[in-house]
Amino acid sequence: MSEELIGVARPRVDGPDKVTGATRYAADGYIHGLLHARPVLSTEAHARIRGVDKDAALATPGVVAVLLASDLPLATTGTDRTAEPLAREEVVFAGQPVALVIADTEAAAEDGAELVLVDYEPLEAVIDVEAAMEVGAALARAVEEEDEDGGDLESIHAGVDHGQADDPQEELSGNVLDRITRESGDVAGAFADSDVVAEGTFRTPWVYQAYIEPQVCTTWLEPSGTLVVSTSTQGSFVTRNELARAFGLPLERIRVIAEPLGGAFGGKFALVEPLAAGATLALGRPVRLVLTRSEDFQATNPASAQVTHLKVGALKDGTFTGIEGRMIVDRGSNAGWGVEGITSSLVAGPYRWVAHDIRGYGVQTNRFTFGAYRAPGAPTAAFALESLLDELAQKLELDPIELRLRNAVVEGDIGISGNPYPTIGAVEVLERIREHPLWARRDSLPENEGVGMAAGHWPGGNEPAAAVCRVDTDGTMTVVTSAVDMSGVNSGFAVVAAAAFGLSPDKVRVVTADTSSGPYSGASGGSKVTYTVGKAVLRAAESAREKVLAAASQELEIAPDDLEVVDGVVQAVGAPDRSITVEELAKKILRFGGRYEPIEGHGGSAQTMGAPSVAAHLSHVKVDRETGEVELLRHVIAQDVGRALNPALVEGQMRGGAAQGMGWALFEQLDHDEDGRLLTGSFLDYAIPTAERVPEIETLIVEVPAPDGPFGAKGIGEAPVVGAPAAIANAVAAAAGTRLYELPMTPPRVWKALRS
Amino acid sequence: MIPAPTRYARASDLDHAFELLAEPDAKAIAGGQSLIPVMKLRIARPSLVVDISRLELRGIEERDGELHIGPLTTWDDLADLAHPGLEAIAECAHGIGDLQVRNLGTIGGSVVHADPASDMPAVLLALGARLEVRSPAGSREVPVAELLLGPFTTTLEPQELVIDIVVPLPGPGSGSAYASVEHPASGFALAGAAALVTSDHETVALTGVSATPFALAAGDPRAAVAAAEIFGDRFASEEYRRSLAVVVAERALARARERRAS
Amino acid sequence: MSETLSLVVNGEQRSLDVEGRTLLVHALRDGLGLTGAHIGCDTSQCGACTVLLDGRAVKSCSVLAHQAEGRDVTTIEGLASDGELHLLQRAFVEHHGLQCGFCTPGVILTAADLLSRDGSPSDGDIRRALRGNLCRCTGYQGIVESIRAAKDAS
Repeated sequence: MSEELIGVARPRVDGPDKVTGATRYAADGYIHGLLHARPVLSTEAHARIRGVDKDAALATPGVVAVLLASDLPLATTGTDRTAEPLAREEVVFAGQPVALVIADTEAAAEDGAELVLVDYEPLEAVIDVEAAMEVGAALARAVEEEDEDGGDLESIHAGVDHGQADDPQEELSGNVLDRITRESGDVAGAFADSDVVAEGTFRTPWVYQAYIEPQVCTTWLEPSGTLVVSTSTQGSFVTRNELARAFGLPLERIRVIAEPLGGAFGGKFALVEPLAAGATLALGRPVRLVLTRSEDFQATNPASAQVTHLKVGALKDGTFTGIEGRMIVDRGSNAGWGVEGITSSLVAGPYRWVAHDIRGYGVQTNRFTFGAYRAPGAPTAAFALESLLDELAQKLELDPIELRLRNAVVEGDIGISGNPYPTIGAVEVLERIREHPLWARRDSLPENEGVGMAAGHWPGGNEPAAAVCRVDTDGTMTVVTSAVDMSGVNSGFAVVAAAAFGLSPDKVRVVTADTSSGPYSGASGGSKVTYTVGKAVLRAAESAREKVLAAASQELEIAPDDLEVVDGVVQAVGAPDRSITVEELAKKILRFGGRYEPIEGHGGSAQTMGAPSVAAHLSHVKVDRETGEVELLRHVIAQDVGRALNPALVEGQMRGGAAQGMGWALFEQLDHDEDGRLLTGSFLDYAIPTAERVPEIETLIVEVPAPDGPFGAKGIGEAPVVGAPAAIANAVAAAAGTRLYELPMTPPRVWKALRS
Repeated sequence: MIPAPTRYARASDLDHAFELLAEPDAKAIAGGQSLIPVMKLRIARPSLVVDISRLELRGIEERDGELHIGPLTTWDDLADLAHPGLEAIAECAHGIGDLQVRNLGTIGGSVVHADPASDMPAVLLALGARLEVRSPAGSREVPVAELLLGPFTTTLEPQELVIDIVVPLPGPGSGSAYASVEHPASGFALAGAAALVTSDHETVALTGVSATPFALAAGDPRAAVAAAEIFGDRFASEEYRRSLAVVVAERALARARERRAS
Repeated sequence: MSETLSLVVNGEQRSLDVEGRTLLVHALRDGLGLTGAHIGCDTSQCGACTVLLDGRAVKSCSVLAHQAEGRDVTTIEGLASDGELHLLQRAFVEHHGLQCGFCTPGVILTAADLLSRDGSPSDGDIRRALRGNLCRCTGYQGIVESIRAAKDAS
């Protein structure tokens, strides 16, 4: 086991292909006889479909079919996007796909789609999430269906529980689909005993993942009847399950190939595949569906808007006492799951509380189906909590970092879920930013500048995984997993396998297999892939190592315990001249008459401990009082990553997450009009951070090893975004002298706050 | 995403262009950076796209006390223009769109597209520029102030082409500047102001705040903006825009005065 | 409604039939199989489709294919020569200038245009030059460092 390979900043394994344009993303492959699909999206937020006139569309040159829900061979009657890829009778959000035009070319499909006429009978649209909760409110879904076992998409994203049972005393409308209650201790008493209290109502909007590659998939039928799905997805096995459920097909009849991903951040789960697969099954032809950006804005699954009423208390010495919260999550038309569970758990932050009373409400409205976006429910919760913690610090005249340090959890502390925290680096990352010179300078900055801080954590996830390591006749190793490489995990696998086996990482190739032959891997998301699949890779490499030692032992007549594998050579410990190369051995073995087992290992993992990650941020901003514009001058992020297998890739995740947090803080908002139609459906209206607006981001890697992660590594993709918006909000409060309680802090909003 | 069906033809000279533009729904394309986006949205659906980009209408020349800018001059060409008193042109061109847009987008194409939030019309207004326009019927001159009617609407006739943009050279001891506050997504002006300061007068023109770019009444910008018709939308209210208009006007004036002094 | 378009792509004379409305990006991807230019938006902003037209970076989604008649197009596939990565390509690999890679070809070609005209851009100049290239993964810093490294190496 050569640990010196761990912690080296190595270029990612897929770099050369990506910089030469050689990487084939899901829209790039050539398929003979391919048809192209174009969805027709609802222009009504809530309506009954009276009829669809396809005549003009069908008469368009190149158009082959116009499919409606009844044309798709669906085997289930659920209302989720998998079971109802095209609206049946009731449309529940503007942008919902209603028809699918299939044509010889993309241009013809678009020509045809323009001409499809849908006759809507408008129903009352439920747009205001708070009004939607009140008894007597119109229902966002007129036809209430028993939701069948609608797939377990929530559990992919985070390891949190659901709190206690419903509180029977609250009377709420049928739009409230879920109610989470987390209570412990006497919160009212805790506040009564507090020396200071801070409370507020915090609002965050619908926010779009804005992966640069729009959603896309291609489906076709093999002559044997197998449905092949080549797609840009975060999870091939999850997609296979969803399609099996939707179309009533046995698992072995579906093969899902996860193509290189052009970004996903939580949003690419079984949205386009049911549409394309439905078309292929209906027509017996290959179909490709590439969403236009406009369609991706309207018809996919962005992050929920939230309203959080929060109150926190503390004693004079800074000890946190009680936390009380009512968190309203706008699920849009997602009846299957919402982030009310996660957000109501994470709003307590990585801190100890004496008493808590937090409720989460998942409310349906006539807006898009909510979906996960990098640490779903977390940035919004941290915005509320960390803003109020700064207010407490101000009232107590305590350093804001010091305040948090006095309450930061350590291993063994009981969280509000009632479970003890495993190893966690909250204290370490807070101490790290406290040492930063920027924090020391925060009170002596020029006018209109300010520095703010915040912490954010993400629990991580657990899911069993398996991997294979196979050595070939050239002495190289192929690592096979089914894990989609969303965050650079393949590069981590290469290093883990190399270190565990005894090869140079340059001799290790990582392959992402499809569902027909790949070892199991859950979806990529939830910050668990390096932690779980990486562990499986480690064990697979160790298993392969045992095989090579067994074979070498026979050849060299030395006991396996007295042998080691160093850089591709099996040699006697202390006597390296007695050796045989892995390549030689492989050549001897992998041929007719070979005498030893192939040098292959299979490994599995099933962690149950969990490996939460915490990141603390410093943000330095300048406010232009005349225009309300906020300029980001500098950002610092310290994150507890367990072990940085490849620091360059870890830094990339930290910077990318922080940058997305900047989008949350200052720029991003999906906006609907009163009728529920999307007003901000393009990058002309929806601003994602650009190179000019993102400042230098300094990354501080803190290593608090996860005992059961590969070499101590954890999943780290989501924690970096969580505290970023809050840190920026706290910086703006310091710079402007006034606090904003709503994101994004756009120039008009900052301007208004400065004048009220 | 894909334009509606259309035909394409390339004009070899001005007369050929007029011939092609005689077709009722023909549209001229220069750099395409304004037209192609609206064709992709299928808002513009020309039956024929007439490519005039290879006509000899690109370049900047000083003649008889005036600057003649060919309509096919790109933003990138203009970003290097260094002429005392005309700093606003380069300053504005520098900030239009992005590097890729500036390589292709032309001043003529943008001006006739007449987006109420585009930057250069404010500069041309402040500098008192005029367009030389030609059609099969003959030539005429149109001051920029008379060109812009409303959002995406000009006083040009269907077959008219701009063949020259003429900017009077301000006298010695002049300075100009352009200042704007951009929409964070589109980069278009939430409010933009161009200012020209000469030895005897100061002119300010605004863009992004009204149905078309317009010249502010003379005198204190604060009072002039208070009297002007300013609109608001969901992102930026009228009150906010009015305030921004004053801010950019004052910033442009301050910079123009500085340039005049140096 | 298709007509023949002749142009030079990555140093080779090419001919293909395209409609009047066909965008250059589709002609490259579907007509010539050069899928390195990616489509990331429909409002001409993301820059993932950036190619060089007569050496200048343009968004190929905002150029009609026929406008490129007789001109010289370089796509990401044409940047390396004789099997050797271009300085920028090498810099992006070595200095971690990419993650998912979808914006990367466009970013590299914009950087190529920038460096061909300005041998020593500041970090601020680099960031400004990237306004028309959206990246969602990297937070841009790896990109700026890669371009800076390429600038220093040339």
